[in-house]
Amino acid sequence: MALIEIENLSVIFNAKGREVRAVEGVSLSVEARESFGLVGESGSGKSTILRAICGLAPVSGGTIRLGGAPVARGKAFSRRVQMVFQDPYASLHPRHTLDRTLSEPLAIHGLGDADRRVMQALEDVGLPTSFRFRYPHQLSGGQRQRVAIARALMLEPEILLLDEPTSALDASVQAETLNLLSRLRDERGLTFLMVSHDLAVIDHMCDRVLVMQHGRAVEELSREALAGAQMKTAYARSLFEASADRMLG
Amino acid sequence: MTLLSVKNLRVTFDTEAGVVEAVRGVSFSLGRERLGIVGESGSGKTMTGRSVLRLIRPPGRIAADEMLFDGQDLMKLPEREMRALRGPRMAMVMQDPKYSLNPVMKVGAQLMEGLRQRDRVGRAEAHGKAVAALEAVQIRDPERVMEAYPHELSGGMGQRVMIAMMLIPNPDLLIADEPTSALDVTVQAEVLSILDGLVRDRGMGLIFISHDLRLVARFCDRVLVMYKGRVVEELAAQDLLHAKHPYTQGLLNCLPRIGGDRGPLPGLDRNAEWAR
Amino acid sequence: MTLTDWLRDPNPTSRRQAKLGQLWLGWLRLRRNPLAMAGLVIILLLLVLAAFAPWLATQDPITQNLQNRLMPPGTAGHWLGTDDFGRDIWSRIVFGARITLYIIALVAVTAPLIGMLVGTVAGYFGGWVDQVLMRITDIFLAFPRLILALALVAVLGPGIGNAVLAIALTAWPPYARVARAETLTVRHSDYIAAVRLQGAGAGRIIWGHIVPMCLPSVIIRVTLDMAGVILIAAGLGFLGLGAQPPLPEWGLMISAGRKYLFEQWWVATMPGLAIFIVSLGFNLLGDGLRDVLDPRSSGK
Repeated sequence: MALIEIENLSVIFNAKGREVRAVEGVSLSVEARESFGLVGESGSGKSTILRAICGLAPVSGGTIRLGGAPVARGKAFSRRVQMVFQDPYASLHPRHTLDRTLSEPLAIHGLGDADRRVMQALEDVGLPTSFRFRYPHQLSGGQRQRVAIARALMLEPEILLLDEPTSALDASVQAETLNLLSRLRDERGLTFLMVSHDLAVIDHMCDRVLVMQHGRAVEELSREALAGAQMKTAYARSLFEASADRMLG
Repeated sequence: MTLLSVKNLRVTFDTEAGVVEAVRGVSFSLGRERLGIVGESGSGKTMTGRSVLRLIRPPGRIAADEMLFDGQDLMKLPEREMRALRGPRMAMVMQDPKYSLNPVMKVGAQLMEGLRQRDRVGRAEAHGKAVAALEAVQIRDPERVMEAYPHELSGGMGQRVMIAMMLIPNPDLLIADEPTSALDVTVQAEVLSILDGLVRDRGMGLIFISHDLRLVARFCDRVLVMYKGRVVEELAAQDLLHAKHPYTQGLLNCLPRIGGDRGPLPGLDRNAEWAR
Repeated sequence: MTLTDWLRDPNPTSRRQAKLGQLWLGWLRLRRNPLAMAGLVIILLLLVLAAFAPWLATQDPITQNLQNRLMPPGTAGHWLGTDDFGRDIWSRIVFGARITLYIIALVAVTAPLIGMLVGTVAGYFGGWVDQVLMRITDIFLAFPRLILALALVAVLGPGIGNAVLAIALTAWPPYARVARAETLTVRHSDYIAAVRLQGAGAGRIIWGHIVPMCLPSVIIRVTLDMAGVILIAAGLGFLGLGAQPPLPEWGLMISAGRKYLFEQWWVATMPGLAIFIVSLGFNLLGDGLRDVLDPRSSGK
């Protein structure tokens, strides 16, 4: 049984009386400890799927199941699923120190031993513990994204939703962040559902990838099919060809 | 023929923590070609581009031994003459059209504003020129776009409008600062081919600022690699993927590749020597 | 290690040190702004006046002496002159500082708190909660403040305590508007989404995450409103519904001096100057605080 099962999901926003169909009839399933990628251009609805899983976007149709049971949001949900956002400049509260940001989830869930856990979390993501009382504006983009990852892992979730976690970062910082994510995934047995527009990043991180366009699923590819350019649909192929300079060699 | 020649450009900021040097002694020259400037954030590439137009706000300061544009030393020009150069002779396209277009003005009015104000062109003629500019950037229904507000345009469309706006006065030098970073890959290709055509057909000089080495390698003629305010390497674009400098090599190596192995990506071991 | 080193340590070891270090940095930033410092000095002077009024006043502020009535400034023993009952204006201003502070303190605490609560709740929940709360706010805003305060005092009965209550009840709607506007800009931000995703309830999100973002604009608004608060208190006093004579309330003193404005200008002018200086102090301080309260404005 798959850990995440999404069946026929649609998300419809109501924008000024006009219906915007952000996601239409998308199905996917992710096994435990698997990494699944969603790729597509802006407006393809790939981020909306992540937000719908978390309850940040309305589910207008279809079902989302976690471990076989329909998704129930609340405190129990937040201990299973966490998210890392795209923009590390917007995802940390500008007036909270790292200490406050990282201890907030512990306070919400009544977990004790905050001092030790915060220090441990900083170490786990490779930040010096002396940063503990800094504010986000005193950190670089890469350091902020490390904090965001540390925050997502404070509650020890099994599923991590990654919304373009490295697209705002420089190449070398992207490499460090991807390495960090891979290491944490191996250490903690995490399941990743990752959104990116960069096929090379998806290929590096994910076992399978779903190509999306205009809110619909176009084609699902295994890692081998992606590397071997074995696409069946024209759109997936055009996306691949536009990324030709990201090929090995 | 050299269009722009910059010698020993320095940009410094006076901050509370002392003087910060954003650009430290950059020299380059540009003909009617595509010059790429690559580097990470904070490398000074944007500051270099902006200082050619002398668009650095206080507390930033520009200093250069020489900044010759078409025979005139830009460092010596008074601000009034500089303003006359910006637009008609040299123009700049920014990363995000959202912040560069006036949100409460129709695209057409913004396109025509310069023509009407600066060149005292009649309404009908300005309209015609604006439509022609939109057509030049391959916008299919220019009349509809003229009547649209910026928020009604997609990112790629907005960026094309920005390029069209910069091109109306037919400048000799265009500075494009990450013009395609906010765009999808397929749209990116179209915008690049538009810029490419302009350089070839109009004989324009282009400074293309980007963090994306692979893109610059594919698109430009010549590349400057910047690190901490200095140019660490200058080379022909086709040689970029075989760069000699360890920093450039490091930047290339740390990128993931489709079909590559999934082991840890090589990091970039920064060497204090590079910044010297 | 000296105290300033300990305060400026970029890597504090405890929450307390981090907090104090932050305060110290704020103080350093405020100190660099000469206008804000001027404002702070004025407010501190007001506090000193109020605290040491019995020692700083040269005469009793209430006792009348009709032989000395309407003496001009500079008269021996009455360097700011006397009013129509022969009371020393300087002494009355000094004691009036206490009343002014009392009014300001109460209004400054209650009105922004109510306003912020209403505004953030309305902005965060949206929908019908927003509709109901904001329409109530609009109703309050639709009345001229003085008229509304008058109506409230008329119901509650005259006196300075009720006047303060009435002012606070009429002063909150602008804060609610400001807080709601700020809330709308932050409620869809990623950091609010992140804390929602961690299972935080609405109360925690509003109090711990949204209110800190509203605070700077509200505080600035408060400091700018203080002059108006003093004047409304004075207006209520003038109409016999606020501070009652012979209390040395500044507004009351102005209205008493109104009759002599052309011949004995100092009677109304001196308390007017006091109001002017104190309002200026609050405005200057408010401007400086805006820079201090935004951690992003500090040196990077």
